[in-house]
Amino acid sequence: MAIMRKGLKRNKPPMISKAIIGLLQEKLGARNVLHEKEDLLTLGYDATPGVHHLPQVVVYPKTTEEVISAMEIACREGLPIVPRGSGTGLSGGSVPVRGGMVLGLTRMNRILEIDEENLTATAEAGVITLDLFNAVAARGLFYPPDPGSQKVSTLGGNVAENAGGLRGLKYGVTRDYVMALKGVLPDLSVISTGGKSVKDVAGYGFKDLLVGSEGTLGIVTEITVKLVPPPRDKRTFLAYFDDVRTAGEAVSRIIAAKIIPSTMEIMDRATINCVEDYVKIGLPRQMAALLLIEVDGHPAPVAEEAEGVRTILEQVNAAEIHLARDASQAADLAAARRTALSALARVSPTTLLEDATVPRSRLAETFSEIERLTEKYRLKVGTFGHAGDGNLHPTVLCDERDHDEMARAHAFYNDLYEKVLSWGGTVSGEHGIGLAKKEYLARQIGEGGVRVMKRIKNAFDPEGVLNPGKIFDEGDPETRQHVEEGFRVKP
Amino acid sequence: MRVIQKPGSMWRKAFVSSPETLGNFKSKDAPGYKDMLQCMRCGFCLPTCPTYALTGRERSNPRGRVALARAVAEKKLEFTRGVREEAFFCLDCRACTTACPSGVKAGEIMEVCRSQSHAFYPPGAMGNAFRTFILEKMLVSPERLEKSMIPTRLYQRLGLQWLVRHLGVLKLGPDWMEKAEGMLPPLEKPLRPQLPEMLSARGEKRGRIGFFLGCVMTLIYPHVSRQTVRVLAHQGFDVITPKAAKCCGAPHLSEGDRQTARELALFNLELFLAEDVDAIVTDCAGCGAALKEYEEILEGQADREKLALFRSKVRDVSEFLGEAGLRTEDLREVRKTVTYHEPCHLCHAQGISAQPRELLKAVPGVELREMSEASWCCGSAATWGLKFSEESRQVLDRKLGNVQSTGAEILATANPGCHLQLAWGVNRSGMSQEVLHVMEVLGQAVPD
Ligand SMILES: Cc1cc2nc3c(=O)[nH]c(=O)nc-3n(C[C@H](O)[C@H](O)[C@H](O)COP(=O)(O)OP(=O)(O)OC[C@H]3O[C@@H](n4cnc5c(N)ncnc54)[C@H](O)[C@@H]3O)c2cc1C
Ligand code: SF4
Ligand code: SF4
Repeated sequence: MAIMRKGLKRNKPPMISKAIIGLLQEKLGARNVLHEKEDLLTLGYDATPGVHHLPQVVVYPKTTEEVISAMEIACREGLPIVPRGSGTGLSGGSVPVRGGMVLGLTRMNRILEIDEENLTATAEAGVITLDLFNAVAARGLFYPPDPGSQKVSTLGGNVAENAGGLRGLKYGVTRDYVMALKGVLPDLSVISTGGKSVKDVAGYGFKDLLVGSEGTLGIVTEITVKLVPPPRDKRTFLAYFDDVRTAGEAVSRIIAAKIIPSTMEIMDRATINCVEDYVKIGLPRQMAALLLIEVDGHPAPVAEEAEGVRTILEQVNAAEIHLARDASQAADLAAARRTALSALARVSPTTLLEDATVPRSRLAETFSEIERLTEKYRLKVGTFGHAGDGNLHPTVLCDERDHDEMARAHAFYNDLYEKVLSWGGTVSGEHGIGLAKKEYLARQIGEGGVRVMKRIKNAFDPEGVLNPGKIFDEGDPETRQHVEEGFRVKP
Repeated sequence: MRVIQKPGSMWRKAFVSSPETLGNFKSKDAPGYKDMLQCMRCGFCLPTCPTYALTGRERSNPRGRVALARAVAEKKLEFTRGVREEAFFCLDCRACTTACPSGVKAGEIMEVCRSQSHAFYPPGAMGNAFRTFILEKMLVSPERLEKSMIPTRLYQRLGLQWLVRHLGVLKLGPDWMEKAEGMLPPLEKPLRPQLPEMLSARGEKRGRIGFFLGCVMTLIYPHVSRQTVRVLAHQGFDVITPKAAKCCGAPHLSEGDRQTARELALFNLELFLAEDVDAIVTDCAGCGAALKEYEEILEGQADREKLALFRSKVRDVSEFLGEAGLRTEDLREVRKTVTYHEPCHLCHAQGISAQPRELLKAVPGVELREMSEASWCCGSAATWGLKFSEESRQVLDRKLGNVQSTGAEILATANPGCHLQLAWGVNRSGMSQEVLHVMEVLGQAVPD
């Protein structure tokens, strides 16, 4: 830990010397090294409310070799290293809580290969998710993982958070598509794990360890993903409900009927209204909830499944059932759903979003619980999410300057997690632990589980240089999400 | 919830100020703190921002710019030269406003920062004098420009300086004047003195409108607005063009001179409300966007009902004709392939995107070919095209590439800034497209 001391002076990050900046500039090129206050201020946040810290320097390597050079200098200078994609993370993963070097991957953004024989694509970590989707679509192939942030997020960020998306129900999450990774470990060795072979059991599954490791084990520089043939046909339903619980029930019943739609997304009334304010496509403002359901695949089963879905929606008494006119209307609906979180942010200065995930049979109960707690703690809550995955995002719309309200919001999540965990759910379905969920991790996996995870972290990063302060709760106040006194001005 | 104290933290001093704090902003015309808090940093605006595409720098994108303004408000940052640079580097294209699901207006926050910038960094004496001359003397009354005995070539320069606005505040590259002149169309006499106070409707009369003739239109594109007026009359509208109208105020807003902008706005408001017209129509997207903002910039300084009435009448010409419905019976055929570039101030600032296309398609014989990224800024954005030449050129090249792939004969647009930039680019790259305002295309279809 000796070398870390220098970088860990808590409240006054050490100044970085001109010589070091000069050295970095020499290795990476002047435009790829940022150190002015205006730059540091804008590279110490992500989309998580209430967390913001300044790095001392930000670098944008363009090759794996440059990643190594930058890391080498950081290690020598005792600077923590924090990887960053597009900063759309929702658990504070790319926030440099202990200062140091933010290592931005967005300038490593080349798609290296689309291999039509093996159905794989290889890209650098900074490629934007949607760009890869479009590039493979142009070759008649399909890369399914589609987080709401796909237009902005990077593949590296998706891998580091094991991002899900709207199509997760049928197609799975990022992990299910990662075939190989290339990256740099904290000891500066280059790791290359996995490959294009569909089977691989040679030793421990490093690749799987790196997926979802939130930038704490290694820097991913290159990713090979699996591609699939695109579905030939699809049907998109929009169903409205007078009661959210009914919507939850519809989801559970569709799955129980052994139908696996590609998408089953939910939005409650508050979300519908905020989204409609933005997209203006005539969503029903008075309805308690809507479900966006898509079935896809070969034409014959699609027709059959669509019929099955319609029957169930009728059985549970959905208030209205609509079928999307054509592909472009279906795309508009999915696009509208993707704006849900940002649109909710219209309502209040602070949007505290959660990521609770339950077994799907518990959906209706979860909605009841959210309603009960919303009332109990007198809060404004909008809920949306990947209903088909049992993954809900109850979002408290609040004002972080109001201490009392923040305390109630905290209590709300506390109670909710208690229930979610008792049902065998998880505190994070897709956004990761980062800074935001540290307190809850031990509750879910137990002290023993945390100890093993720490040993794994130590094995990769004994000096603790990579993304310190994340995932594990060390009781260190600097590394908490401290909304009420964090980045914003107090009354 | 645990309250975490961070003794000695560098953030501490931030918490002394009040929530609606000005922080390090000057009190006059400070950006609203709430408007900045509204940004939840989702990044949805990133892929739409041309200056981010160019630089890949967070501080040069909407999320970063809002964060900078917020840091100034929270006293984490002085109003530094860097902040000022970002305020001026922002194209004010408003693509981010369209993209933002949370209703954040990064471009507008930067506009207000530009006005702050003058308080922090007073322009040098010479530049200041020139700026005052252009902004306060010449522009408040385009008539003065038109009537003054300045030789033709100088008119053009003044028109451009009108565009450049900002001379002496930012250093322009030595070649700006050369580039500027290369952008100019052959100059005619200004239009305003030539237009009758009222041009009567042709055919069955459908209404009476006030035409807002913009400064750049009268000075640099008189032939465009002449067509606009002709088209409107042919469509059955009496067209009143008040001679006394002043600059809409957009350049002043854009350069951060809110006070003059207000005075101009107040004058135009009274002038047009005194005319008994059904609508106030303009063919300059920049003017239209500014006129639609009068309600906001004059808030508390003019009667609320008057402001609302004024706002309810303002229309871009394509928006107006879209609502009225185009009478196509006696239009002549125009056998041309046309592609359409969306001015930022039309599609992002005013949300008008479909109407110009519908008009073009309604012209018999016209084949509209969509270019990709039609709503991506052309790099002109107000004075930007002259201030940041290299970056501006890169943005332009991207646009020209998209134009070229359509193979269209005519490149139509609806704003003088874009018009200048595109015409210059097409010319310089040896492309064959004719750059026309949508109204000029329509004008070709109107029988004499
Ligand atoms: C509006 C909105 C909607 C969203 N919807 C979804 C959704 O539907 N599903 C979902 O799962 N998430 C969603 N997210 C969360 C977020 O977009 C994802 O977590 C995404 O994967 C983050 O990508 P990024 O490039 O922005 O990464 P960042 O936020 O920059 O980083 C995220 C984490 O990854 C690490 N990291 C980044 N790049 C690398 C690398 N190359 N090597 C090692 N570590 C790295 C960082 O250190 C950090 O810990 C949403 C976010 C927003 C704002
Ligand atoms: S300006 Fe809007 S779109 Fe951009 S980051 Fe902020 S909230 Fe998101
Ligand atoms: S107005 Fe245009 S240039 Fe300015 S921040 Fe928004 S998108 Fe970027």
